[in-house]
Amino acid sequence: MKVLTFGEIMEGGGTVFSSVTSIDSEQLLVTFKGVVRIDNPYRHLSPYLTALGEQLPAASLTSTSIDFTELRFCNSNGFYIIMDIIEIIYRSTTGPVKVRRLKEDDWQQETLPILLNLDEDEIANRTSFEDVAEI
Amino acid sequence: MSTSNQSDSQTGGTGPSGVDPVPVTFIETSFAIKPLRNIMGDVAGLLGESLMALLLMFYPPPICKKANIVISELVTNVLENICDPESGFVLKLSIGAERLLISVQNQVPKETADRVLARVEKIYSSGDPRRLLAETIRERRQSRLKGGLGLLRLVAENKFTISTEYQDGLLTVQADYRLESLP
Repeated sequence: MKVLTFGEIMEGGGTVFSSVTSIDSEQLLVTFKGVVRIDNPYRHLSPYLTALGEQLPAASLTSTSIDFTELRFCNSNGFYIIMDIIEIIYRSTTGPVKVRRLKEDDWQQETLPILLNLDEDEIANRTSFEDVAEI
Repeated sequence: MSTSNQSDSQTGGTGPSGVDPVPVTFIETSFAIKPLRNIMGDVAGLLGESLMALLLMFYPPPICKKANIVISELVTNVLENICDPESGFVLKLSIGAERLLISVQNQVPKETADRVLARVEKIYSSGDPRRLLAETIRERRQSRLKGGLGLLRLVAENKFTISTEYQDGLLTVQADYRLESLP
């Protein structure tokens, strides 16, 4: 597996949120971990967005897996950055996208589909969910 | 803060023996912080995470996460819209067999209270809060507008009933979730 790029939010000397984009064979793997609580996540994650936009189109990929199961909390201010990351992924790749999410999590069940923009047929047709029970 | 076990009629399941019912734990707590100008760190996050950790000792994670989100959103609303830095806020939480009730009260001018009241009214008059959430997220994303999603999120995403009261310069926003509506 090769890590393509990553972004993180640091607070008080520690990482509170991270997103890692890697490639395994021809599959793109994107993970989200931690909590988004800060006022302006763009202050920390803009370089990650730029790197994704530059590097993804050049990668040879047949499928994508996006994993939200370790994202414990996302405040309203974090919605747009999640949407931006997702938008770049869908725009820069082709093929099916599997979204791993928690089975019993209001945000991941109710709001995440909105952020994925599943109202658009093209996106909906490429997307499937894997609902995971929280350990 | 207080915790107690409620009467036998309010039970949360069967005990380890398979015979004795486990009484539902009643928890009631209240925090007041004043003045607001002294708050520098993420008080909303600290209160949300710590109360969620307490509730997790007695209630399933989906309920505790709901509490975390409500506390985070309501306290953040107060801290992002401070009208009088010398004033404070009061957070109250109670949970028992039937409902999770969380309220946040703070001092605001009438025009601020009117804005909040109008926002709540819009949520309920829409008829479809989830659709309104989707539309609002897309609209506000265009101009990267901050705020305006918290209360809507609590109704559309977390299935709370929101109510507001404005009296003597104090705005109270209350979020009510009936526990029996859990799937």
